[in-house]
Amino acid sequence: MVAKQTRYVIIGASAAGMAAAETIRKLDSKGSITALSKEQDMPYFRPMIPFMITGKKKFSEMMLIGQGPYQSANINVRLNSTVEAVHTTDQTISIKSGEELPYDKLLIATGSRPHIPPIAGIEAEGVFALRTLSDARAMALRAERTKHAVMLGGGLLNLKTAFALLERGLEVTLIIQSPEVLSQLMEPNDATLIRDALIRAGLRMITGCSASRILSDANGVNGVLLDDGREVVCQMVCIGKGVRPNVDFLGQSDIKVDQGVVADRFTACNTLNVFAAGDVAVTFDSTTGERIVTGLWTNAVEMGHCAGRNMAGQPTEYTGTLGILNATQVADVPFVSMGIVHTSGTDYETYVASAPKAYRKLVFTPDGAKLVGALFVGDISRAGLYRYLIREGRAVKGIKSFIIRRQLHYGHILKETI
Amino acid sequence: MSQPKEIFVRLDRCVGCHTCNIACTVEHSKSKNLFESISEHPTPKNRVYVEWVPTDHKVPVLCRHCEDAPCMHACISGAISRTEEGVVITNSDKCIGCWTCVMVCPYGVIGRHLETHKAYRCDRCPDLKTPACVDACPTQALVYRTVEAFSGDVRQDAARKMISEERR
Repeated sequence: MVAKQTRYVIIGASAAGMAAAETIRKLDSKGSITALSKEQDMPYFRPMIPFMITGKKKFSEMMLIGQGPYQSANINVRLNSTVEAVHTTDQTISIKSGEELPYDKLLIATGSRPHIPPIAGIEAEGVFALRTLSDARAMALRAERTKHAVMLGGGLLNLKTAFALLERGLEVTLIIQSPEVLSQLMEPNDATLIRDALIRAGLRMITGCSASRILSDANGVNGVLLDDGREVVCQMVCIGKGVRPNVDFLGQSDIKVDQGVVADRFTACNTLNVFAAGDVAVTFDSTTGERIVTGLWTNAVEMGHCAGRNMAGQPTEYTGTLGILNATQVADVPFVSMGIVHTSGTDYETYVASAPKAYRKLVFTPDGAKLVGALFVGDISRAGLYRYLIREGRAVKGIKSFIIRRQLHYGHILKETI
Repeated sequence: MSQPKEIFVRLDRCVGCHTCNIACTVEHSKSKNLFESISEHPTPKNRVYVEWVPTDHKVPVLCRHCEDAPCMHACISGAISRTEEGVVITNSDKCIGCWTCVMVCPYGVIGRHLETHKAYRCDRCPDLKTPACVDACPTQALVYRTVEAFSGDVRQDAARKMISEERR
């Protein structure tokens, strides 16, 4: 008897979805894998879209399939396919075109979308929230007739977008409510070196302020009115106020949603044969155990791999992730932020060292036994070792002084182990 | 199918002479010559690290080309892939210098090239039969073997030790 081919259906063809597809294909050479994307472009490395604004990279250089670990053949990617509903009892999904697609195993990997705050006038032309390649293309087009762009929000996405626009020769003003940039990834005192780098790079910054109205005329945006009464003239506005999971299409289904899609430790949802991974899934922080929704490419890939294994019949526990797990370079300053780094008003044992070109903060449990967070600005070498310790939750007794002084290397960990 | 070879470290043999560092750097230079490589731009980079742990242990560390390579999966630009020989390589043209690989490498062996703004690491010397560090190591603390051959060596070594203890 020929075994029945498993029909794997994946909603969302980005980090989590494609990582899952890759894993499934390795474990099951026969089953059919269909990944549905509502976008018009083949899967691409989403974090690279600012390069579409600078024009430094072509779309072909951002494509995902055939690059890095994404080498598997026979994954059917369907574009322009918005899923409208999931019917868990008869195991089918409804696509906007009217088609019903049956599945044996379903992965929800619909990712997230930008959070758009309710600001008057926000629907004007020239207001962007960068998420997709289409958004980036539209921004690049608008940039051609923009002299001054205003960024609302000081998160990583907006900083990257700001740099892309600066590179194109635009004037850019960042408007942030918090006293410093990157408030999700570090505390105000931690951000000094980064702020200096931003200013050196030509970015203007207005802190402690928010937009109360976006002004526009027939040509679209022409200014932003701030809550202190100031008016900033601009021809483009970018919103970077975080993301929200894409769960609206699950409204009618019996799949449990709480902020995001609720998945258990084996990435499974509450209904049979349905799994969730990536930005859309509610997962947990491996250090605190808290339920979190993250918006990170790296996390999405990892969870996607795990879901793929579970879908292909290899039960695999997801070990959780760190809610904060970011590395990047802002202007000429690299930084890494991992685990618990917001320590004001807590009793975490915290060590901070500040030098003209480097800053570090190491956070241990209140009893000092385990490393739970690390922030490096300027010098990020060997950051992975610290991530390893945070993630494993290992007692650090013998190597603690090396950690605090940022001298840790693999030799120390090896000697601790053997 | 022939087993791929890997670089193994024999901790008990490393004397911390750093000859591997020089050999590695020269092999990753344009000129492949020590004296010329010093003035090259971009500066050629060493990819094997000899760490020191008190009281007095020398620990050579280099990319393990992990089976489930965290760097490869974490890379946000698709720059890291595995060759047919099992070597995990970073494609410099695709690297965008976001340093995510540096953040996830549990061995701390991915370097940042500040002049080129690219990540770099051991590539097992694709142009050589034996990697430069292994070839240069005067104490054979670094060896280039298949897993099978190396574990065979370890077993034989252990057996030899046991026999000589018994004879004593």
